[in-house]
Amino acid sequence: MEYWKDQHEPITAFLKLFEKAKEDPELSEGLKKVNQLIWFDYTEDGSDCSFHVDCRNGQVVAKQGKPSEEPDLIMSLSADDAHRSWSNKLNPVMAITRKKIRVKGSATGLLKLAPKLKKVALIYEQALNELNFLDKILK
Amino acid sequence: MYGNTGEILLVDLSSETLERKKVPEEYYHNYIGGAGLAARLFWDWGDFKAQPVDPGSLLIFMNGPFAGIRLSGCSRGSVAGRSPLTGHWGDSSCGGHFAPELRFAGFDGIVIRGQSHRPCAIVIEPENLRILPADEWWGLGVFETTSRIRAKFGKRAKSLAIGQAGENLVDYACIVNDNHHAFGRAGYGAVMGSKRLKAIIVKSFEQNYHAADPEGLDQLRRSIDLKIRESVTSQVLHENGTAANLEGGVHTGDVPIKNFRSSFWEEMAEALTGSTLSEKYLKNKAACAFCKIACKRVVEINEGPFAIPKGPGPEYETIAAFGSMLGSMDLAATCKAGRLCNDYGMDTITAGSTIAWAMEAFEKSALTLEDTNGLPLKWGDMKTVVDILLPQIAFRNGKLGGLLSLGSHKASLQINKGSGEYLTTSKGLEAPMHDPRGGGHGLALTYSISHRGACHTANPMLFMEMGACYYPEIGFEYELEPMSEENKAESALLAVQLGAIENSSCYCQFADREITIPEWVDLFNFSAGYNWTIENMMSAGLRVFYLQRLLNFRFGLTADDDSISMRLLEPAVDGAPEGVPVEFDSMKKRFYQLARLDEIKGIPDRATLDSLGMSVEASYVWN
Repeated sequence: MEYWKDQHEPITAFLKLFEKAKEDPELSEGLKKVNQLIWFDYTEDGSDCSFHVDCRNGQVVAKQGKPSEEPDLIMSLSADDAHRSWSNKLNPVMAITRKKIRVKGSATGLLKLAPKLKKVALIYEQALNELNFLDKILK
Repeated sequence: MYGNTGEILLVDLSSETLERKKVPEEYYHNYIGGAGLAARLFWDWGDFKAQPVDPGSLLIFMNGPFAGIRLSGCSRGSVAGRSPLTGHWGDSSCGGHFAPELRFAGFDGIVIRGQSHRPCAIVIEPENLRILPADEWWGLGVFETTSRIRAKFGKRAKSLAIGQAGENLVDYACIVNDNHHAFGRAGYGAVMGSKRLKAIIVKSFEQNYHAADPEGLDQLRRSIDLKIRESVTSQVLHENGTAANLEGGVHTGDVPIKNFRSSFWEEMAEALTGSTLSEKYLKNKAACAFCKIACKRVVEINEGPFAIPKGPGPEYETIAAFGSMLGSMDLAATCKAGRLCNDYGMDTITAGSTIAWAMEAFEKSALTLEDTNGLPLKWGDMKTVVDILLPQIAFRNGKLGGLLSLGSHKASLQINKGSGEYLTTSKGLEAPMHDPRGGGHGLALTYSISHRGACHTANPMLFMEMGACYYPEIGFEYELEPMSEENKAESALLAVQLGAIENSSCYCQFADREITIPEWVDLFNFSAGYNWTIENMMSAGLRVFYLQRLLNFRFGLTADDDSISMRLLEPAVDGAPEGVPVEFDSMKKRFYQLARLDEIKGIPDRATLDSLGMSVEASYVWN
């Protein structure tokens, strides 16, 4: 991995991102509209390298690992590309076209989040700052 | 011959004769099929002096070599000829069910000339080709006409029909297949109307497709179909239709608002996006023949001023053309407007854009109450659009209906008063609902160089700028920044070749995103036996692109006509593209160099034509 020293670092960063996103009214509402259970699968970088977000029933809950229920959507990619993606440095359409991101299930909900990726990137940068992951911030 | 049948039906409506005609085999290899082959046949048989609605004009329906293969996305067909809307060469593509049925009935295409002395219909059944009187259908809308066709010929019969707009020679009348699928652009419904041809009906007895390599094709077909079915794009299109990403498009500045005057309207984005249509009005999903995507919508609205019975629903272009373009976020109104256009047989893009132009012209006093018969034209007034304007246009009723039936370009020339500033056209064709300033600056270039005018389906530039294309075998492996001119001319040169291949093979631009370049070549070789390499295929695409330009040159177009309305180039005032200039002139100059186009005539130089085996064609334009 180019950005992470082990498989736990990215999950720590991404869970922090979602923790902060929940505090932002616009993103929180956007996530609720997704209304899906999503598994972000980065296990190509380690068996524990994944997390899931449950946006169903008007809540947003992010936890490490694969969800116990069948997810509505699985996004499989590397932890490095996930880092680029949350930093808004990876064109998601292009990444899907080139098979860097593999999607299984309905991506309709995610389309609702796409317009908010710039804001997600700002919050992600704040999350990296708070975790003292300053060297990982992509400019 | 494989894939193609090698035969077209030549119809003369004046003499009421129908004739089977062989097409030289090399034409298929050189011009692929569909739009390319239609251009070639017009080059040979067309009357360049005949106006589009003259009896001497040719109307050409042409299949690609894949029509009839049980594969998602390859059931489209082309119609081509001199456009009533633009006055020069054009073509239009349609999905649905007609193209494969025509192939199964034994024909690659239909070439129609002449003018019937009474309303008529062409009926194509194997060993039973005929022209029938259609007086009882004349004056009917598309829905009732199609219903009567089904009652007479059975539900298995596939039809093309025009509505009242085509009969009344509205310049952007369209041709509708089975109520739901349209040859929408450039006005070929008016050509049918001028020939008094109400409908074409085709019915085959067996669904045979004679592939060059049946086993290879079957294997490839299954593999491509699986990729298409499982792709993210297909799933999104299936769930929420072609407007699935309208909301995202608003945020990138791709969706035009109020005649391309604004690039951002957040509230509208959610109100009109595909998922909202699904939640509020979707009843069923529908598909073209053999397609697993099923992006088409069937909607029903039970109450309110825009209530409509269950039937064909709007796709993205219609929603934006009768929504954001007119300053409306009433989704029900877009459904009703789309339904009316289907029934009258009118292109929704030109209809919506022409009304948007009129609204701006009225706002700025270029159109007055005297011009509109006392009718104020106000942004967002969809009752007026649906109840008054669309019927007036379809029947060319009154001064305003007559004016707007010409399309915005000719209407502007008629009233002047500075109204040309409100146009959103290239070569007289209204731009689709993708704003080049936000959707991608390369679109400004490809709109302007497209033979038929501003068009997003002439080539895949929109998808290339979006990041949805990856073709390393032909050098397209780089990322494009939409709001920049960098690499746009280079990409456009690939795009025009790929677009010619798509539109000549008549493949759906949504489905074929999953097909790699080597798979394209295999498809042609396994189906039609073209025995191509990648280079052969790309050369055929380039040959088609050039031939279409030569046709336009013979219709009087030059390099100056490769232009686009200033409205689509001036820096946006809001949203993501705010303040970003489009460097159109430098992109065009670079493209002309790369494509070896003469900077005055706008056609390729003689040596380039010679290298593509087009020396004879070159002699028409370079002597």
